[in-house]
Amino acid sequence: MRITYAARMARLDLSLLWRNRTGLFSAVGMPLLFGALLLPARGEVRDGVESGLFAGTGYLAFFLIFAVFTNLVAVLTTRREDLSLKRLRAGALGDTEILGGSVLLAGGLYLAQIGLLVLFMSTVLGGRLPANPLLLVVGLLFGIAVFALLAAGVSGITPNADMAQLTSMPILMVCLVGSGVMVPLDGLPEWVRTVAELLPLSPLVEIVRTAYFGLDFTVAGAHAPVGFLAAWAACGEAFAIFGLWALAGWWASRRWFRWEPRHG
Amino acid sequence: METTAAVRVTGLRQRYGDFEAVAGISFEVRRGELFALLGTNGAGKTTTLETLEGFRPAGDGTVRVFGHDPYRERREVRPRMGIMLQEGGFFGDLTVAETVRHWSGFVPGARTADETLGLVGLRDKADVRIRQLSGGQKRRLDLGVALLGRPEVLFLDEPTTGMDPEARHAIWAVVRDLVADGTTVLLTTHYLEEAERLADRLAIMNYGRIAVAGTVAEVIAGQGDSISFRVPPEVTVAELPAFGGTAAGVEIDGGHPTAVYAVPRHGLQAALGELLGWAERRRLRLDGLQARSASLEDVFLRTVEGDPR
Repeated sequence: MRITYAARMARLDLSLLWRNRTGLFSAVGMPLLFGALLLPARGEVRDGVESGLFAGTGYLAFFLIFAVFTNLVAVLTTRREDLSLKRLRAGALGDTEILGGSVLLAGGLYLAQIGLLVLFMSTVLGGRLPANPLLLVVGLLFGIAVFALLAAGVSGITPNADMAQLTSMPILMVCLVGSGVMVPLDGLPEWVRTVAELLPLSPLVEIVRTAYFGLDFTVAGAHAPVGFLAAWAACGEAFAIFGLWALAGWWASRRWFRWEPRHG
Repeated sequence: METTAAVRVTGLRQRYGDFEAVAGISFEVRRGELFALLGTNGAGKTTTLETLEGFRPAGDGTVRVFGHDPYRERREVRPRMGIMLQEGGFFGDLTVAETVRHWSGFVPGARTADETLGLVGLRDKADVRIRQLSGGQKRRLDLGVALLGRPEVLFLDEPTTGMDPEARHAIWAVVRDLVADGTTVLLTTHYLEEAERLADRLAIMNYGRIAVAGTVAEVIAGQGDSISFRVPPEVTVAELPAFGGTAAGVEIDGGHPTAVYAVPRHGLQAALGELLGWAERRRLRLDGLQARSASLEDVFLRTVEGDPR
């Protein structure tokens, strides 16, 4: 992949987003809306931390679903069906440059949303700045890669743009409910927690909370403070789960992703 | 290794499930020539073109563009190709100029947007959104984008479909200039006039095979000429003699039985002489007498009427 060309593809995507009011609103408006939802929770405590910040760190992870996953499923499906993908492919761009450019913009938007939300949490909500920024960023990049691959696979089994919301719904719902975005999973039976930890968004939720608070959020119960290296060590299992999902996403995209609509 | 052929297709077969879209074809496009693939819808033209463009691997047989496999070595060959697809796929929200500017960023050494729009006569539409363009204007934009990287070989899939005659002639002029400058062009069309006017050589495809190929003159010459006249009332159909070694075929044309002779090539003059002698001796008036060389249209119709495989 030549990065200049992928960047030019991302620039094309940005011009298109700028023209698309609905897309622009969900990229900008959605984080604002969620940010506002955090305000009433100020002052309460959940899972050992302030509940506004607990939910806020959950949103940091959960925005990935909208900004990268459902967004890319819709974009890739629409572009396949209206033959734009084929058109882009008729030029001198390589396949990875075309897809990489779109991932670059989607991922960039997500990181911008993260920046704004972290700023909001550290000022309005009276929280801190991330304790381990490097761990946070690496976790986010892993998340972008995993969900971009999953999106490519899901777009392949999505017949048209109208169906995109439906086909991305299962992953969206499972991640919202099962990954501990809104509520801690502590009270649930052991086997449910084990399954929940294996969901694709769960590693990101654990990594983000651990990196933000500097507390070990990879374990249930009390979250002990962790230093720089200890935080990485604690997140090893989360990264391993991410790795498995990356493989699954890679397999799904190889298996299902299509550049052109099916023949008649 | 570069060879003299820009494009070489050998024994190409492509199938979609049970349907064999291309059933074993071979042809060559020399550097600097314009080669036309003619055929009805579903004859396999687009599948052949898209294989050459590197969109799909050859099912069987080989295709080479400048000696490269266009599917496996797309990275090498693509920058040298210009591709005009059958349908747009451009983004309706972008203007013409924005589209050309974005796309020029995707090819190394691209023409400027202004030069490109001038080439295809779209300068006055530069600020119009794509969704507001007519079908013909979209085709011209498509051609402009294909020309951005100054390609050595140009693939045009039905370049003038949906265009009014004026726009069609404008496109032909652009394509002729490109060929004069040394660009190799492979185009598909179902307009016979387009092939007749532009092509150095052509092939007619039918049910996935090449039925006829050669220069326009060669293709027509292989088909012979024809003589026809209304059967005079004094003559019964059974009495019609053979001319130039061919027996009469009889068709009903506007209620009149009409005799039709398919004369082998170079036999038209002799056959006409025999026919006129016969009419003179029998003192017959031959109404509706016509003698004509085969046209590309005759060849085309005869080919596509042929039985499926």
